[in-house]
Amino acid sequence: MRRRIFEALGFAVVMTVLAAFVQSAASGQAPAAGGAAGSTTSGNAKAGPPPHTPWGQPDLQGIWLDEFDTPFERPAQYADKEFFTEDERKARDEKTAADAGRNERANRGTAQDVAGAYNAVFTSAKPTGRRTSLVVDPSNGRIPPLTPEAQERNRIDQEFRLALLQNTPTCKNQAAGCRGGKYGPPSPRLNDMAPFYNTQRMNRHNGPEDQSMGDRCMLGTTPDFNGFRRIVQGPNVIAIGIDTGQGQGYQRIVYLGGSHPPKSVHLRHGDSRGRFEGQTLVVETTNFSPKFPYRGAGENLTLVERFTRLDAKTLEYSATMTDATLWTAPWTVKQELTMQSDEQNRIYYEPRCHEGNYGLPSLLVGARLDDKAFREGKGPNPASRDTATCVNELPAEREN
Amino acid sequence: MNVKLAIGVAGTVACLAGAALSLQAHHAFNAEFDANKPVSFSGTVTKVEWINPHVWMHMDVQMPNGKTENWGFEAGTPSVLFRRGFTKASLVPGTKVKVDGYQAKDGTRRANGRDLTFPDGKKLFMGSSGTGAPYELARPGVDTERK
Amino acid sequence: MAGMLRGSTIVTALVAAALGAGAAALTMRGGEQAARPAGARTAEGRPDFSGVWQAMNEAHWDLQAHEARPAIVTQPGVYEYEYARVPAAPVLALGAAGGVPGSMGVVQGDGQIPYKPEALAVKQENAANWIDRDPELKCYLPGIPRAMYMPYPFAIVQGTDKIQMTFAFSNAARVIHMNKVEGPPDDTYMGHSVGRWEGDTLVVDVTNFNGKNWLDRAGNYHSDALHLVERFTAISQDAIRYDVTIDDPKTFTRQWSISMPLYRRLEPNATVLDYNCIEFAEEFMYGNLRKEPLVKHWEGETMIVDITRKIPPGEKLHEWYRR
Repeated sequence: MRRRIFEALGFAVVMTVLAAFVQSAASGQAPAAGGAAGSTTSGNAKAGPPPHTPWGQPDLQGIWLDEFDTPFERPAQYADKEFFTEDERKARDEKTAADAGRNERANRGTAQDVAGAYNAVFTSAKPTGRRTSLVVDPSNGRIPPLTPEAQERNRIDQEFRLALLQNTPTCKNQAAGCRGGKYGPPSPRLNDMAPFYNTQRMNRHNGPEDQSMGDRCMLGTTPDFNGFRRIVQGPNVIAIGIDTGQGQGYQRIVYLGGSHPPKSVHLRHGDSRGRFEGQTLVVETTNFSPKFPYRGAGENLTLVERFTRLDAKTLEYSATMTDATLWTAPWTVKQELTMQSDEQNRIYYEPRCHEGNYGLPSLLVGARLDDKAFREGKGPNPASRDTATCVNELPAEREN
Repeated sequence: MNVKLAIGVAGTVACLAGAALSLQAHHAFNAEFDANKPVSFSGTVTKVEWINPHVWMHMDVQMPNGKTENWGFEAGTPSVLFRRGFTKASLVPGTKVKVDGYQAKDGTRRANGRDLTFPDGKKLFMGSSGTGAPYELARPGVDTERK
Repeated sequence: MAGMLRGSTIVTALVAAALGAGAAALTMRGGEQAARPAGARTAEGRPDFSGVWQAMNEAHWDLQAHEARPAIVTQPGVYEYEYARVPAAPVLALGAAGGVPGSMGVVQGDGQIPYKPEALAVKQENAANWIDRDPELKCYLPGIPRAMYMPYPFAIVQGTDKIQMTFAFSNAARVIHMNKVEGPPDDTYMGHSVGRWEGDTLVVDVTNFNGKNWLDRAGNYHSDALHLVERFTAISQDAIRYDVTIDDPKTFTRQWSISMPLYRRLEPNATVLDYNCIEFAEEFMYGNLRKEPLVKHWEGETMIVDITRKIPPGEKLHEWYRR
């Protein structure tokens, strides 16, 4: 599977990347009363004991959020270091706060400026958490290596994407988005079917399937570590509503009984069955769909989550991902979630991304006009323009 | 290195090349809008659609020839604003706004709101209108007036 | 129809008995983990509506009483009579599978929806332009009350201060706030629901609609002034009587109401499977914007269907998606 590649281009202002869907995590404070580093609203000694429902289960209800920004995988330079020092956290926060983000404009009239899209006020910035990574197992804080089959699939997939970029300035200038590729005339593969079901942005807009899942408003996948989660709990069934990304939210239902559907039934967020083990809700989810892969894992993914209410304000959440066809070992993410104010009701739970996705038809129409202009000799070959990679855009900050 | 990139692009471009998780939550604005068709307007808000994935602001714009046209501008997602305490009442019809952006390729009266400000230059939505999302880092010049 | 069930003492007593006593005898989904048998009361003594439910009627076609119709989109037949219309081109190939079943109607009182005259004209335009206008075809969030009687199951999760309903259709959901919360920052598709108990009846006020939804497939609609009052009353532990009072002074001349049972899905392991229709609707919504047309031609033994797409000019294209 793809790994994120952070690349400094050596400019004066160094920006912290706040990716829209980075599974960044919480502080990962030790579950004990009194570890109150960080935000005033995170779990602390005064928060009170964990409550129970009237029917005696641990009460998991509320709106929960990881209030900190934590790298998903441990950056290489931290090696085995599990926690940031306070100075390191402060330094990261200073970088983030100093960054003008999208308010910084590229030259007017350039593709970079168009890609800036809108003002930085539409993005958010969380303070740095204590942990150096969300991934807590393996102990190096990094996702285990991919299987050889998965690596080969990725290679084939990436080769295709690079072919679509071949004729663009991104490749001519050997920018990051063209790594592994080369510059050349428009590729003969331009109108080929993508080698695998496409979920990422690519430099082609022949139809909706060429767009990323985000562009199609089908982005939210399970597990999600970034968004707000509202848990409503009954004795036999639990609802988890997730608000994430730009309206990419979705609903899950955890049944405290029954059994998974047959393997042939594939569901976007899988089928979740839970049980309480002591004070922890353990949820097993299977029956995921190849159409909505989580980091490339689809129908072979098994997800085991653990929810433990630590105190009145804190929920400890961990998720173990297993897919032997993709990762050479299972791996686990852990985060601490903080209770959000329910009364404020500002977490806008209605996703309505698809209902407001005026950009998608607009983008397709734009591509058709580019095609037409090229056919009539009035415009450049669309293959010579990069409308896909990040080099052509400002970094995708957190938008949730 | 692309010279244009060296000028003015804010800092590090972190390239999330092909990361599986939708790290590019918003769509490719370059596919929708045309860098060769910049627009710069002052106008009066007529309607705001507080929708996902992007807010759409509709404005009556006085054109150079004296006529008034209604334009739509695509901005960011409203979620972050809502959490900071903004509501649909925060930008009501009648408000005067300046927009700097790029017109849609299909030539309709739509553009992206690359830079949305009030007529005095202050950026739209800066500063929270309520108690805000307490966990957020405030960024001077982005969320608050620059010191 | 619903009159016999209106809060009579006898019925209340029967319901109380059913809920309190027989619940344990019910077959549960994998009951070994369940903390409370389905249909039992909560610790506060309220009915527990948790479970998987579904309406079983024809309201989603047309709230009003109607006889069966040949199709949802029809054209004049050989005769001029209304009753002799035939399926139109978009649905002809479905034959009798594309018809509209008849209904006794769910509108209470005289069975009429009291439109203002100009609103009635809009309803009729809606019906005549169903394919281009019904938001269901685009897989847009269906709103309330429509989501409650679409032909897909939904789960009710009754928590301590929230009741969530999650619908199979497009993964839509609503949260009924039983505690005090601020209103939403903007108007919504699924409304803002605030609930309270009146005895054994769950009463819900729903407001803050954005006016984009229809009430059924017949073009019945409402504005952003819609205010609903819903009442959920157990008929038994496996059926709820669902009454809705509809108030929208921009569209209707007075309040009116609908009523219908909602039925518990009783099969063991009842599960709400997604109906994630955003992808299903893509060819319908964006197929005309493809570089090369995808869905063009179908041939059966007696029929050939050829599809030509078109792109509405200029701003009209974008307006189509707004509906």
